[in-house]
Amino acid sequence: MSDLVIQTWNLTKQYDGRAGCKNITLEVPRGVVFGFIGPNGAGKSTFVRTMLGLIHPTSGRAEMMGRPIGDIDTKRKIGYLPELFRYQDWLTGRQLLETHAELAGVPRHLRKKRVDDLIERVGMAGRADGKIRKFSKGMQQRIGLACALISDPDLIFLDEPTSALDPIGRREVRDLMSELKREGKTVFLNSHLLSEVETICDHVAIIHKSELVVQGEWRKLTEAQTRVQIRAAGLTKGILNSLDGLIRAWEPVDSSAEDNTQRFLLQLSGDDQIPELVNLFSQRGVMLYELVPIQPHLEDVFLHWVNRKEQEHVLNRQTVI
Amino acid sequence: MFSIAKLSFKETLYKRIFLIALLMTIAFLIFFGVANHYASKELEEQLSFLGGDIGQLLMEKSMFATQILSIGLFFANFITILLTTLSTVGSVSGEIESHQIDTILARPIKRRDLILGKFIGLGSLLVLYSLFIFGGVILMNKLFGGALTITLSFEQFVKAGSLFLTLPLITAALGLWLSTRLTTINGGIIMIVLFGISFIGGFMEQFGALMKNVALQNIGILSSLVYPIDALLRRMTVMLFDVADSPLSFAAKGLFGTVAMPSNAMLIYSFLYGALLLFLAVRKFSKRDV
Repeated sequence: MSDLVIQTWNLTKQYDGRAGCKNITLEVPRGVVFGFIGPNGAGKSTFVRTMLGLIHPTSGRAEMMGRPIGDIDTKRKIGYLPELFRYQDWLTGRQLLETHAELAGVPRHLRKKRVDDLIERVGMAGRADGKIRKFSKGMQQRIGLACALISDPDLIFLDEPTSALDPIGRREVRDLMSELKREGKTVFLNSHLLSEVETICDHVAIIHKSELVVQGEWRKLTEAQTRVQIRAAGLTKGILNSLDGLIRAWEPVDSSAEDNTQRFLLQLSGDDQIPELVNLFSQRGVMLYELVPIQPHLEDVFLHWVNRKEQEHVLNRQTVI
Repeated sequence: MFSIAKLSFKETLYKRIFLIALLMTIAFLIFFGVANHYASKELEEQLSFLGGDIGQLLMEKSMFATQILSIGLFFANFITILLTTLSTVGSVSGEIESHQIDTILARPIKRRDLILGKFIGLGSLLVLYSLFIFGGVILMNKLFGGALTITLSFEQFVKAGSLFLTLPLITAALGLWLSTRLTTINGGIIMIVLFGISFIGGFMEQFGALMKNVALQNIGILSSLVYPIDALLRRMTVMLFDVADSPLSFAAKGLFGTVAMPSNAMLIYSFLYGALLLFLAVRKFSKRDV
């Protein structure tokens, strides 16, 4: 069995030659919570809807679990919570789950237990027998989540799954995603909430203006901009500039008159350059009091890659002109 | 496919569309029964008085009887077609507009099965409804028609009834086809206008036959080709009123009569028309984005 649950080759869906997603070549490993991030309107939902066969690609191809998109048997192993979660609101929550269990081909003898378990799991116990039209948005999202899991899928697409939830609900959904990961399932999390993705995802793909910017383990994507904060005495502008092969950028943070030290924020090419930096400071007589690697945030990674893509666009435009 | 059929069937029941339709239909049937009662009472008084020409009265009786039942069936068909239009024209487009269809199509279901499932689900409910209203109109005439009661053989009832039941099925195919292509509101407008064209065209054709006006007859034929509902309804009345042992065809009388009877070819065309629209609905929906 392949280690990739999703694989796409230049998958493109354009509407009248605009928007949508363009030339997306993506690989999603099995058993991870995969964050698909990008600004609103970047093309995230278009990509997911194309993968699910709701819309037809303009060009390119894609596979899920080794089968082309739209394959009926593959769909038995897939769950989906759409961003615009709209269900048959004339049904009760329980009836909705029973209906989807039937549509998903869940064996009849398993349905009742599966429905009961999921109602419990998404925190809808005692409330699932009400009509969906009377549910709050948060309750609808919870029942939608249960609906996505009704076939006990191997791959679950969650499109903005916490958009209608309160902080407690968000936490519960994050825990649920972690549980699914532990069960060996793959969660494709489509979100623009970077803090949420950062907490639970190891792998991400960043999409911007319909194009894939970068993909991989997001902590590795930060290597390009390892940052450290230092407190030192005797560190001059001249010394910092003399190390331009090592230090990619620097900026003063503050200075202390008491011990004559100053704080700087330095950007290096990678973590492996930190020992060399300390060594060079020592050779140049810099008194190093403190060196703190700054833990990267997904937001930094995201902004770094998006800005880089923006600059490429500007350069391309200038070249054309 | 049958899961979708069941869902469509349930949706129509749960949304109380049919409950309201049934209640209103019962009200209509009561009204129709009362009208039958008073119309027959008047005629019976005239017949018992024997003041006039008995032959003339019997001819009038025959004509009134067929006309009253025809009006009832004409209105029954009107409600059935309207109900079919309302329940089918938004059945796909409405779900696309509201995104309800997204989670359904993400399931292991072929798009073809979704359309056919909806056709089966809605069609079976509409056929049951048609049977109820068709049988109800005939029953009211039997119970309260008195002198205006139409005597029907079982065979006539089954033949005409069967044809009546195909009307919502053909309309459902049209509704589903439009629903895969257009928004609910646009599809609805087109269906209502087609319904109007069909009936006006039908009347024109009958006038054309009486006036020997070929242009009017052709207009009628053309409207039947566009939407053959009126042709089928008129063929149904012929099946219902033509009494084998009578030299007179009661079906040819009055505004709702049928002078130019739709041919067998038109019958076959109508069935092919429905099948083709269903095929086109499946084909269109299989290719479109939702």
